[in-house]
Amino acid sequence: MALEVSHVVGGYSQIPVLKDISFDVKDGELVGLIGLNGAGKSTTINHVIGLLTPHKGTITLNGVTIQQDSQAYKQQIAYIPETPVLYQELTLREHLEVTMMAYDLDHDQAWATAHELLKTFRLDNKLDWFPANFSKGMKQKVMIVCAFLTQAKLFIIDEPFLGLDPLAVNDLLNLIEDRKQKGASILMSTHVLDTAQRYCDRFVLLHDGQVKTEGTLSELQAALPEAGESLNDIYLSMTKVDRA
Amino acid sequence: MTALFKTRLQRHLREMAKYLRLVFNDFFVFALLFLLGGLGYGYSNMLKTLKSGYWWAPVVALLVLVIVAQIGRFATLIEDADRVFLLPRERAMHAYLVAARRYSQGLAQATQVIAVFLLAPFMSVTMGWTVLSLVELGLAQIILKDALLRLDLASVYQVTGQTRMNRWEFKWLLSLIILAAGLWTLPLVAVVLALILDLAVALWTAQHWQKQQIRWREQIKLEDNRMLGIYRFFNMFTEVPMLAGTIKRRRYLDWLFKTIKPQHDHLYLYLFSRGMVRGSEFSGLVVRLTVIGMLLLYFVRGEWLPVVLVALFIYLIGFQLLPFFQQYDDVVFTHVYPVLPAQRLKSFVTLITLILSVAALLLWVVVVIANPHVLTAGITLLVEVVEVWYLARIYTPQRLARSTENRG
Repeated sequence: MALEVSHVVGGYSQIPVLKDISFDVKDGELVGLIGLNGAGKSTTINHVIGLLTPHKGTITLNGVTIQQDSQAYKQQIAYIPETPVLYQELTLREHLEVTMMAYDLDHDQAWATAHELLKTFRLDNKLDWFPANFSKGMKQKVMIVCAFLTQAKLFIIDEPFLGLDPLAVNDLLNLIEDRKQKGASILMSTHVLDTAQRYCDRFVLLHDGQVKTEGTLSELQAALPEAGESLNDIYLSMTKVDRA
Repeated sequence: MTALFKTRLQRHLREMAKYLRLVFNDFFVFALLFLLGGLGYGYSNMLKTLKSGYWWAPVVALLVLVIVAQIGRFATLIEDADRVFLLPRERAMHAYLVAARRYSQGLAQATQVIAVFLLAPFMSVTMGWTVLSLVELGLAQIILKDALLRLDLASVYQVTGQTRMNRWEFKWLLSLIILAAGLWTLPLVAVVLALILDLAVALWTAQHWQKQQIRWREQIKLEDNRMLGIYRFFNMFTEVPMLAGTIKRRRYLDWLFKTIKPQHDHLYLYLFSRGMVRGSEFSGLVVRLTVIGMLLLYFVRGEWLPVVLVALFIYLIGFQLLPFFQQYDDVVFTHVYPVLPAQRLKSFVTLITLILSVAALLLWVVVVIANPHVLTAGITLLVEVVEVWYLARIYTPQRLARSTENRG
């Protein structure tokens, strides 16, 4: 059991956005976090990466909480934010080095991985540029390269598909698959449901700060038999309940 | 559209008024009065020593007038979002731009009048010009400035394709020709030439603007630069939040980072050092204060005054650098990376020690050059070492720990 979120109540202020949320991500599993804008996906992610502290409940990563040992907890996480976040004054090469330093990676080995990743995402000729001046998609690729440089046990990816070209989307999915094989877990939030349906092992459907349903696609289909076959249909029927 | 300009102008003036109040505080006004009085006195004394008939007198007048003619930029108050929201109203923008030019006239023309007024006694002494000629010259200067601003307005449109009509070389050349003609022949010639230019640009713009696109991007960039200049000026006196500072690669300074090996515990030193060198906000501050300190100390003689000044400047530099610690707080990875906050503080202390030591050394060298006494040099050095050590190693960590606590 890699990540375990249990009975978390939390949010940015005293008013909770998340109302008693529980789910888990197992080793070698890709879990999709699905929900409307404002459902609480990003808040959940911010709690998991430790930016926010839950009012109630616990978040455990391979037996450690951030309160017990923040170093051991953070060491296991690699994060790809929805909007690329970069150091304005650092070149691409320096971004990679900072990542290596932060996670205390072996220099030569990490650079070998880095060159491979850079080639995949066609960034290998831009090492001395400021990524802050890149296009959104290219910034996103920098984020992906930095995250997959690490040997993290849990990858947290916030809406990765918007702004990436189809080739990069495909490469990212291959990377995720490869890390899954090696036992890493991935928590990914997205609105691109047909991609999610094809690649995620399990889904957590968030609505209004609560976990509406959770499970594999067939489990979801069984729970909502009249909703339809695809994840898209299930998702739409789930939100309709509220609108009616 | 004129209404839009009016609301923007009001907001702009309110903002300027806010800053001007801060700039012209009692102390500064006092200093300024003294400075102006001194300059005026010096100028009138200098005039007494001058006679008529210097060959260089018209050259000086020409230079002053040409430079002054460039002062007073076209303030459009255009904003970045305009290229999206006002794009459908591009034709209506003309009324806005005309209103903007009218507003820009105010400050620009006042500058011209004051400049000619100040130059008048010089010209009447050295060149023997009459009041009438001087008034005519002033008129020429005003019409010229009007034409130059009109040129700026015309250049908002893509009238001449990729090249702008109001490039600085072009404006300087026009001013130079017209004013030289006025100074070496009759001032009335300059008036006529300026009028011809003004009318020509006006006619040309009137004929063309309706069929042309606005250069949104360039115009926004120009306006941003204009505002940046104003904010930079205010920033010398007070804190301006709009001034984020610019970032340059400065590859020639990369050797500075060579000693910082990419190891886990050097992460923030790696980051801070690059941020400091390539960003202009804090490094500019350090350089400015150090240079001012060095200049001041070069002219200061005495046993104790240099010591006090050195101590003051090191304190100022160190104190101003403290907010740099929070520079990366809004980068999420600062919080996500598995790096202990203590490491960040340690790196920051190292950085501050380094910067202050270099500044202290530079100030010390100037003190030694200006005051070749062993005692002063020795005491200054001692005070510097103690102060740098205290500021960087004791004060900084305490202060930053407290501000982190306050943030929760």
